[in-house]
Amino acid sequence: MRRFLFRLLNVVRPGRAEDELARETAAHLALLEQDYQRRGMTPDEARAAARRAFGGVEQMKDRQRDARSFAWLDDARWDLRHAARLLRRDPLFTLTAVLSLAIGIGANTTIFTVAQAVLFRPPAGVAGPAQLVDIGTRTPGGGFGNSSYPNYLDLRARTTTLDGVYAYSLFPRAMSLGAESGTPGTERIFGTLVTANYFHVLGAVPVVGRLFSDQAGSDEADAVVLSHRFWMRRFNGDPGIVGRTMTLNERSVTVIGVASEGFQGTGIRAGDAWVTLTAAASASTLSARASAWLLLGGRLKPGVSAPQAAAEVDAIGRALAVEYPDQNRGLGLRVQRLSPVPGSSAPIAVFLALLMSIVALVLVIACANVAGVLLARASARRQEIAVRLAMGAGRSRLVRQLLAETLMLFSLGGAAGLLLARWLTSTIVAALPALPFPVNVSVALDLRAVLFTAALVCAAALLSGLAPALQASKADVVPALKDDAQAPARVRLRHAFVVAQVAFSILLVVVAGLFVRALQAAGASDPGFDRRGVELASLDLSMAGYSGTTGLQFVRELTERVRALPDVQAASIATSVPGGFEVQRRGVTVPGVTPPDGARAFDVDWNNVEPGYFAALHIPLASGRDFTPADRAGAPLVAIVGEGTARRFWPGQDPIGKQIVQQEFGARGPDPTAAKMLLIVGVARDVKASTLIDGLSSSLVYVPLQQQYLSRITILARTTRGQRIADELRAVVVSLNRNLPIVTSQTLEDATAIGLVPQQIVVSVAGGLGLIGALLAAIGIYGVAAYAVTRRTREIGIRMALGAQRADVVAMVLHQGVWLAIIGSAIGLLLAAGASRALVAFLFGIAPLDPVIFGGAAVLFAIVGLAACYWPARRATRIDPLTALRYE
Amino acid sequence: MASGRDQRVELLQGTLDLIVLRALATMGPQHAYGLTARLEQVADHPLELNQGTLYPALVRLEQQGLIKGTWQKTESNRDAKYYAITKAGQRALEKQTARWRRLAGLVDKLLLGES
Repeated sequence: MRRFLFRLLNVVRPGRAEDELARETAAHLALLEQDYQRRGMTPDEARAAARRAFGGVEQMKDRQRDARSFAWLDDARWDLRHAARLLRRDPLFTLTAVLSLAIGIGANTTIFTVAQAVLFRPPAGVAGPAQLVDIGTRTPGGGFGNSSYPNYLDLRARTTTLDGVYAYSLFPRAMSLGAESGTPGTERIFGTLVTANYFHVLGAVPVVGRLFSDQAGSDEADAVVLSHRFWMRRFNGDPGIVGRTMTLNERSVTVIGVASEGFQGTGIRAGDAWVTLTAAASASTLSARASAWLLLGGRLKPGVSAPQAAAEVDAIGRALAVEYPDQNRGLGLRVQRLSPVPGSSAPIAVFLALLMSIVALVLVIACANVAGVLLARASARRQEIAVRLAMGAGRSRLVRQLLAETLMLFSLGGAAGLLLARWLTSTIVAALPALPFPVNVSVALDLRAVLFTAALVCAAALLSGLAPALQASKADVVPALKDDAQAPARVRLRHAFVVAQVAFSILLVVVAGLFVRALQAAGASDPGFDRRGVELASLDLSMAGYSGTTGLQFVRELTERVRALPDVQAASIATSVPGGFEVQRRGVTVPGVTPPDGARAFDVDWNNVEPGYFAALHIPLASGRDFTPADRAGAPLVAIVGEGTARRFWPGQDPIGKQIVQQEFGARGPDPTAAKMLLIVGVARDVKASTLIDGLSSSLVYVPLQQQYLSRITILARTTRGQRIADELRAVVVSLNRNLPIVTSQTLEDATAIGLVPQQIVVSVAGGLGLIGALLAAIGIYGVAAYAVTRRTREIGIRMALGAQRADVVAMVLHQGVWLAIIGSAIGLLLAAGASRALVAFLFGIAPLDPVIFGGAAVLFAIVGLAACYWPARRATRIDPLTALRYE
Repeated sequence: MASGRDQRVELLQGTLDLIVLRALATMGPQHAYGLTARLEQVADHPLELNQGTLYPALVRLEQQGLIKGTWQKTESNRDAKYYAITKAGQRALEKQTARWRRLAGLVDKLLLGES
């Protein structure tokens, strides 16, 4: 142990021991000299004899060094210092290598961190997340759907495998929070509706006060729990908040506690407060079995596995489908392990895997680049290596030294990559489009990201550095010492690297190009309405206590005032915005027409609109008329259908004058007393109802808002010059009611853009990285060509002396570089064809083998290859035959 | 030095340590040159002892705390590093000598006892 510490000390501070040894050796030799001199030798003879008697001084010193410290650590230190010196000597290479590695490694770390945060992050403040599951309904396309409250109650009562089932509203809802009733002024917060046992099942603990208790009988009707973040931000962490009364949507509530820090439930949606379902939701919503608006979750009983619970829940779902055939038709309940994005894990994982493979490609390209240059430099040092081998250096020692150089380079790249990842993660969060609700995704770089980076660096360094190191240290001593012609195997390896670079770069560029085309197609395709220059403002009239009659009055006044604004050319109010994410779906029956597949009713997209809606959005009316102020409460009920709906219900006939029956579903099935007969008065062109990527909706029905009131409305105002008027709209709302906050405020373009975010991300990432890849490939080709010129300078000189023209020399240089580019491009295009087949799902509307993109990429890389060879070719033509012949 | 080469005995690493400790214990503090000279004097057969093995042995023993080196002046007023055995070295010497005796006796018996 004591010896171990001394040896360690001598690794770190060898200077002192080295001095001592030198002194001791000198003293020993001096004594020997003295001895020989006393025996009668001359001083010079004595010195020589002393040295002979002593033996090899340097060998002795070496063995003493090995004994006094750890030889391999000493070697490593020397290797690293030597490597640092080499890197400093060629700063241009070092800089380009570190930069390209930093980009590759940084991008990989970023995607890894995002994937961690979105897919694998364990929820904060939740006990035993491994035992929790998400429960949802089976939806077409494999998604995870919502459930209704009555279904939830039945599931909770019947399950034996789950130890507690809770429900929560899908999105945090905007609510207005005010001080004690009577005081004016409210602010908008986001609240999540949950069942009373929510906190208990999740095992959450409060930081002050208490959380909802699920004791039978306690209603928690007037209780609200605040989130920690909101409590700190708004109330400065005042513990006196417990017990304070406030108004929430004009209702008096009491704050009973604050959740623990970081607790945000199980998902990524972040809210400011929680209220109980039974208190905040309307009685009709709670009793409507067909109204699916809740996400469910539960905790597995000890000893129960997730598949067991899934089987039981599935059985319960099928039983419910049999008992309530109308509302629960096709109900299939699924259970999945807890995830920050319940039900969306699969598509998000696929998307992230796509991004991950893209950035992995870039890293491979960068590594190939670095490996190629390392190989070239090792070739240039062949003589040095051969001499060392001849003098007895072990091959493993040489390989270790070469690997040390590679590792140092990659470590620098990795450190720079971490910095890049840090910057990238913060800009990603800032660049996300504004979502209608706040999310809580922390993409900070943590220890796992750092470890991932370190592992990536080691793996990449080994992969890129091992082959060149093994190649360079081959014990081919004699030919190397004689400086023979270039070893074919080495050169072939270098060429292989360059071909790989070109192939992967062109693959990236093609993928990026395909996505650009897909985005263009999506954007250019006619959505059926004009989304430029329209300002939106969403309100929830129930927040200010409006009822059916008062609300409609308010809507009429609001529309008038908005239309009166100077910058507004057209305005209207609606409950759904086309191309956005919120849709209403309802069931209708059509007299004389049977719905297909034995269904009871047609499913249609629904929108309640004020007159002037179609004009404001530039949706043409194919026939009939728009709604007028005469279509109000008490007047005959009317509706406008989309063209696709008209074709579906009455193919080949004129829909004007026909009727449809709007169905309401109660607790036990269609409620005949609530059914409404609607007269069709107009037909509108079809629009894309939700997300621009999906096709045009083929089942749209519009009804006048004045006849069917809903409290969640959106103001649509088309401005004269496309300018933003968010503040003016807010001023109008405030002038009518000071206690009504605006829920969301954005332009129609922004609202419809959310669906395109994944594609946009891929375009920027793939495109940027593809171009960088092209640059790296160009550097690779340049390196090969430049190296070839250097190696063959003598040959070129001879050729020129023998009469070769400049053109011949240029052709000779270009030949190699361009040939590599061609092979690489061919391979890359083949790979790209395969990739585009695999990515068909993301590339709607364009052919997988789009000739424009593929052809364009090929041309681009041909130019790149030629440009990269330009400089070496020029240098080759400038070779003076006389100096070339003397060139060694 | 050429004659008698085949008569030279190669030392095992552990035995060199033992011999150095013994030499320092009996002869008192020595520097490396002195040690080499004395050892070659005392042994009947010349030892295969080059400085390449002695110096590493000295640094090993010093790191283990069995000997201690100090810089002093020789009779001819030159600087030299003198090594002296420590208390721990004395104890180790006794233990290792006893073990060597046991080992030597055992090897003796095995090699010669059967003949």
